[in-house]
Amino acid sequence: MSTAEKRPITIALAGNANVGKSVIFNYFTGLHQHIGNWPGKTVEKAEGKLHFKGHVMDVLDLPGIYSLSAFSIEERISREYIAIQRPDIVINIVDASVLERNLFFTIQLLELEAPMIMALNQMDLAKGKGITINIPQLQKSLGIPIIPTIATRGVGLGKLLDKAVKIAKGMKLKSTNMRYGREIEEKISKVTKLVEKIPVEYPPRWVAIKLLEGDEEIRKIVGRIDQKIVSSAERHARDLERIHGEPCSTIITSERYNVANKIARGSQRITPPRGPSLTERLDAVTTHPVMGYPILIGIMLLILFTVFTVGGYLSGFFEDVMGPIQGAFGGELGELIGEGVFGGLIAGIAIVLPFILPFYLILTLLEDSGYLPRAAFMTDNFMHRVGIHGKAFIPFILGYGCNVPACLGCRIMETERERTIATFVVTLVPCAAVTVVVLGLVGAFVGIHWALALYLLNLVIIFILGRVAFKVLPGEPMGLIMEMPPYRKPHVRSVLKETWMRVKDFVYIAFPLIIIGSVVLTGLKVGGLLEPIGDTLSPVTVGWLGLPAITGVLLIFGILRKELTLVMLATLMGTANFATVLTPTQMIVFAIVVMYYIPCIATIAALVKELGWKKAAYITVFEIAFALLLGGIAFRLLTLA
Amino acid sequence: MITESTEEYLEAIYYLYERGKTATTTSVAKELKVAPASATQMLKKLAKQGYLKYVPYRGVTLTPKGEKIGKKVLRKHRVMEKFLSTLGLPKSRIHKDACALEHHIPDDLERAIYQRFEGERLRPPGAPSNVVPLTGLLDGQKGIVSFIGGGRATSQRLADLGLTPRTEITVVKSALFHGPLMVSVRGTTLAIGRGIAAKVFVGVK
Repeated sequence: MSTAEKRPITIALAGNANVGKSVIFNYFTGLHQHIGNWPGKTVEKAEGKLHFKGHVMDVLDLPGIYSLSAFSIEERISREYIAIQRPDIVINIVDASVLERNLFFTIQLLELEAPMIMALNQMDLAKGKGITINIPQLQKSLGIPIIPTIATRGVGLGKLLDKAVKIAKGMKLKSTNMRYGREIEEKISKVTKLVEKIPVEYPPRWVAIKLLEGDEEIRKIVGRIDQKIVSSAERHARDLERIHGEPCSTIITSERYNVANKIARGSQRITPPRGPSLTERLDAVTTHPVMGYPILIGIMLLILFTVFTVGGYLSGFFEDVMGPIQGAFGGELGELIGEGVFGGLIAGIAIVLPFILPFYLILTLLEDSGYLPRAAFMTDNFMHRVGIHGKAFIPFILGYGCNVPACLGCRIMETERERTIATFVVTLVPCAAVTVVVLGLVGAFVGIHWALALYLLNLVIIFILGRVAFKVLPGEPMGLIMEMPPYRKPHVRSVLKETWMRVKDFVYIAFPLIIIGSVVLTGLKVGGLLEPIGDTLSPVTVGWLGLPAITGVLLIFGILRKELTLVMLATLMGTANFATVLTPTQMIVFAIVVMYYIPCIATIAALVKELGWKKAAYITVFEIAFALLLGGIAFRLLTLA
Repeated sequence: MITESTEEYLEAIYYLYERGKTATTTSVAKELKVAPASATQMLKKLAKQGYLKYVPYRGVTLTPKGEKIGKKVLRKHRVMEKFLSTLGLPKSRIHKDACALEHHIPDDLERAIYQRFEGERLRPPGAPSNVVPLTGLLDGQKGIVSFIGGGRATSQRLADLGLTPRTEITVVKSALFHGPLMVSVRGTTLAIGRGIAAKVFVGVK
């Protein structure tokens, strides 16, 4: 083997969402995969390694998308990667049961002129819908090799790889002769001739099409080199608009769909099965205007219950096992190691992890089975009032358990804007630890109606701040537009693998932060700095909030775990009868501050992972300021009364 | 029992009132294409029955009782016109038939037809009258995508998912409480928020 041949073959998996892409990715790469973010972006990037018949391959799973426009980051990332990084081969994964819509995307990939083969996946689903596909015919129309597959059962995947290797190793592909309507083609070739004269990284014909479509990014790129080409393309686009009476981007999108429709009709035969499908029957119940809601509530309760019983059990178990280690170190340095490092580690393993694990498992299951979009469908209207759409419902509800999985769950939102709003809103939801403080302090010593009032106030605040974020954040607000994939039996292996990958990924990001936070706090304690800090903070705690000076220290510890504020209050005051140390007003003010003041360190870690450092910092700072403001106002109002 | 001609008169007076015109014997007679003398007589009769106040040579104003009827009949007339126009009847017949139907259509049937055209007012000027927003379709009803309003990103996204002009789309169901619509297009099922759906205009047969 020559050295050149030892370079790994790069494969990119591209396709719509819900076509079984991740099943194929998992099948190829097993546990040799890494889920991270695209550089500088908060879009997930899944890569993996594969050894196949003596070849080493790097497999990249591109985001599940429907188009290659410049409107979403996922789409921009995908087209940049395919056109500029130039993988050796692109495998277009296609859902055979929804051929036309999938071919629309295939046609766009063909425009990018990358070496490509197609995995015609979910052949079993297609068969169930009474669809038979004439593969040689489809192959002829598209001009690329097509391998029929059923990824969930591993059917056809070996063949797919064989083909991929052959093409990556230089097997010639017939150039496709995918062409659009005559007048559109005329314009495309005119603009292509202009683009061919300038150096661009993208294929000239593709650039020409994008210029005609008015693609902002490509216009900028070409405009930097030669503004005249951009304006010439604009003129041609206007010509087309005059003929068709529609915006040029719509004309071209329609034209692609026309081609997709023609190819699909020419190569498939549909004999619809008699009687409603499983999905139709399930949908009749799960999205039923009356029955749907009790089912939704039932499922939510089941999730909360499962996450917290399983989590609680695991949490207790780990704490029993690992707790003793914490105290096993003597001396100041020992305390730093014991309480700081191991305390942090234990907090991570015993408190965060047990809840994350079942949550991820359930979320992946719900996603895989197809229920998630139904839940979003049912709740879209409620969530709209908070400035987010139905998809954020499940993370929102889970926020009442723990903000960490809730933040991570917000990744199902499609645009960055929607993800930011949802994540922000979710951090305002009082988690179980906050509930401990609110019920244990206000509920027990001031009265349960006060505790309930705080929760009501919380809902009002979520509503207001959600609306504000919706108004303030830049970008076009994107309402709900979502595919409702058919229900299906979750693929156990994929679900488990995906859960494992996500947990691993979270541990890498969150644990260092938790441990560092813990060490710093223990360091402050060992160094005897807690009291001075409490004193320094007293203008705020005593002056503004009307709380005892000691609460400053408590609030700092609360960053680690919010329920610690209550636990430490008892320790520091030497009593669990808080009525003797705090007035009712102080309790309410304290609970309010704890409720809002900062996402705990693990939540901050989740924020960093999902939104990046900058936004995580903004949210953290905002929430501290907001909590202090609200606490101060509450203090003044309550003392007035 | 209110007679047809009572309804006709009250409708005409309400119509004039709606346009900010004073209803006089002359204008009412002109509106109803009757002789001023018979209009005078009828108005006097209606005034006696408490539907309107009539001041000779000055004009008439509807009492609340009369206004209620006039308004309802006029609305029925408009709804029927809209309904008839979607059937593709010639313009000349539409007005005449609506005039006849407005007196006979039960209130609840009128409401049902009105619901069907809900959001009709959202239709941009100049669009053909059988084009309605997606939100105006009933569950199970089909339409042909005519055009999509709203922001560029949203309309591109809808087009990418298959909602291009001249595509057939079916409303499968809509969620409660003004929630999103479930639609089926090109062999797939999509959920579309109501705000967006109101900007998708479809032609109905």
